Amino acid sequence: MTDLFMEFLSNTGFALVDYRNIIMLLVGIIIVYLGVAKQYEPLLLVPIGFGILIGNIPIIKDFGLGIYESGSFLNYVYYGVTHDIYPPLIFLGIGALTDFSTMLARPVLMLLGAAAQIGIFTTFLGALAIGFPPNEAASIGIIGGADGPTAIFLTAMLAPRLIGPIAVAAYSYMALVPVIQPPIMRLLTTRKERLIKMEEPREVSKREKIIFPIVGFLLCCFLAPAALPLLGMLFFGNLLKECVVVERLAKTARTSLIDIVTILLGVTVGASTQADVFLTRQSIGIFALGAFSFAIATASGVIFAKIMNLFLRKKINPLIGAAGVSAVPNSARVVQMVGQKEDPTNFLLMHAMAPNISGVIGSAIAAAILWSFMSL
Amino acid sequence: MFGFEAIIAHDGLGISVIGITIVFVSLILLSFAVSQIHKLIELLDKKNTSYQRVKKTQQKDQKTPSVSDLAIPQDVQRASRQFKLLIEWMGEPFSLPKLLYLSGKCGLSRPHSTINELLKCELIIPDENGYFIWNTRVEEKRSST
Repeated sequence: MTDLFMEFLSNTGFALVDYRNIIMLLVGIIIVYLGVAKQYEPLLLVPIGFGILIGNIPIIKDFGLGIYESGSFLNYVYYGVTHDIYPPLIFLGIGALTDFSTMLARPVLMLLGAAAQIGIFTTFLGALAIGFPPNEAASIGIIGGADGPTAIFLTAMLAPRLIGPIAVAAYSYMALVPVIQPPIMRLLTTRKERLIKMEEPREVSKREKIIFPIVGFLLCCFLAPAALPLLGMLFFGNLLKECVVVERLAKTARTSLIDIVTILLGVTVGASTQADVFLTRQSIGIFALGAFSFAIATASGVIFAKIMNLFLRKKINPLIGAAGVSAVPNSARVVQMVGQKEDPTNFLLMHAMAPNISGVIGSAIAAAILWSFMSL
Repeated sequence: MFGFEAIIAHDGLGISVIGITIVFVSLILLSFAVSQIHKLIELLDKKNTSYQRVKKTQQKDQKTPSVSDLAIPQDVQRASRQFKLLIEWMGEPFSLPKLLYLSGKCGLSRPHSTINELLKCELIIPDENGYFIWNTRVEEKRSST
C-alpha cells in the first residue's frame, strides 16, 4: 500500500516539476495578468496564457495527455493549428468584422500597408545572418507582420516545431503595440508632422463595398496564389458582411465562429509552449528578432509616409504609417492615441484603419511569397 | 554559416528584394483597381440614366393616342389650324408666353383656353428644355381617323 502511495506521489506534478516548468508557469501567469488586469488584447492573451499553464503542468510522458502525444485531447485540437485550419477561419471572421470604407475612400494609403512589410524581409535576412535555416528565418520574419494567424499559417507550413515560440512572440508583440510603437513613432516624426490634420474621406457607396472583395480577391490571388486560404477567407468574410443578404452567415462568422476558433487557437498555441520545447536559446533569438522585426515594420511605415508626403498634394499624417503593421485595430488605436496627445482635436483613427487593413492583406501576400520561395 | 555569407548562400537578398517588390506591386495594383471602382460605377450609372431617358422618350413618341385623346372639340379643331399657322410663323421650339402674346395680338378668340385645350390634347407638347413644339403625330393620327 505504501508502494502504491509512493508510486502515486511520484506521478504527481510536484514530483515531476523542474525549474523550466516553473518559469513557464510564471510566464503563463504574467500573460494572463496582462490580459486581465492591463487588458492588453485580452481575447488573445487570456486563452494563450491559460494554455501555457495547461501545457506546462508536469506530466508523465506517453500517458496520452500532452499536446504532442497523439490521441490526446490537446493533440486533436492542435490539429487545427498544425494543418492550417484555424488561421483562415480567423481571417473569415476578420473579413466579416472589418469595414474597408476608409481604404476604399483613399486607396493611396494602401502603400503604407506594403511599406510596413519591409520589416518581414529585413528580419528574414537578420535571421539568416544569425544562423537560422531559410524556412525558419522566413517564419521568424513574418512576426514583423504583427499578424498572429498569418505567422501561425506560415510557420505550420515551413517550421512546425517553432509554432509555439513564434505564435507567442507574434501575439505578445501584438498585445504590446501600445508599448512598442509610440517611441518609434515619436522618434521618427517632428511635432509639426504629428499635428497634420487629414481631410475627411469621401462617402463610399454600398456597391463599391460589395465589388471590392471580389476584385481584391481575384487580383491578390492571381498575383500570389499561395495567399488563397487566408485572403480567400478574408474577402469572402467581407463579402458576407457587405452584401447584406446573408446577414446570418456574416453574424456567425464575426461572432460565434471567430470566438470558437480564437479559444481553440489560443489555448493550443499556449499549450504548445512546453518548457522542454520552448525554453531554448532559439526561442530567445526568436523573441529578439520578433521585436526587431516589429520595430522595423513600424519605422518603415512611418518613413514611407514621410516619403509619400514629398509627392502628395494633400499631406498625410506620417503617424498613420505605423498602422501599416496588421495588428487590427490596435495599431490604428495607437496612432489615434499618439496623434491626440499632440492635438486632442485631431482624429486619425479612421485614416489609420486604411493602412492597418491593407497591412493584413500585405502580410498575407508576404507570407504567400515566402512560402512559395521556400517550397521551390 | 553566419552573417552575410549565410544570406548570400541562401539567396536571402534576392528573396527579400523580389518579395517586397511583389508586395508593393500587389498593393499598388489593388489600390489602382479600388480607385477605379467608383468611377466605373458612376460611368455605368450615367449610361443607365441616359438609356432610361432615351427609352422613356421613345416610349412617349411611340405612344398611340387613344380615340378619346383624339376627340378634340370642333371649335378647338378650328382654332388649332390658326395656331398651327402662327407657330409655323414663329418657328419651333416656341415659348408659351410668346404664343399667348402673339395670338392675342392677332385677334384669335379666347387664346388662354384654346392653348389650354391644345395642351390637353397634346397638340402642343413640351420639348423638355422649357419650350414647346407642335405635335405632328397627334395631328396625323387625328386626320387618319
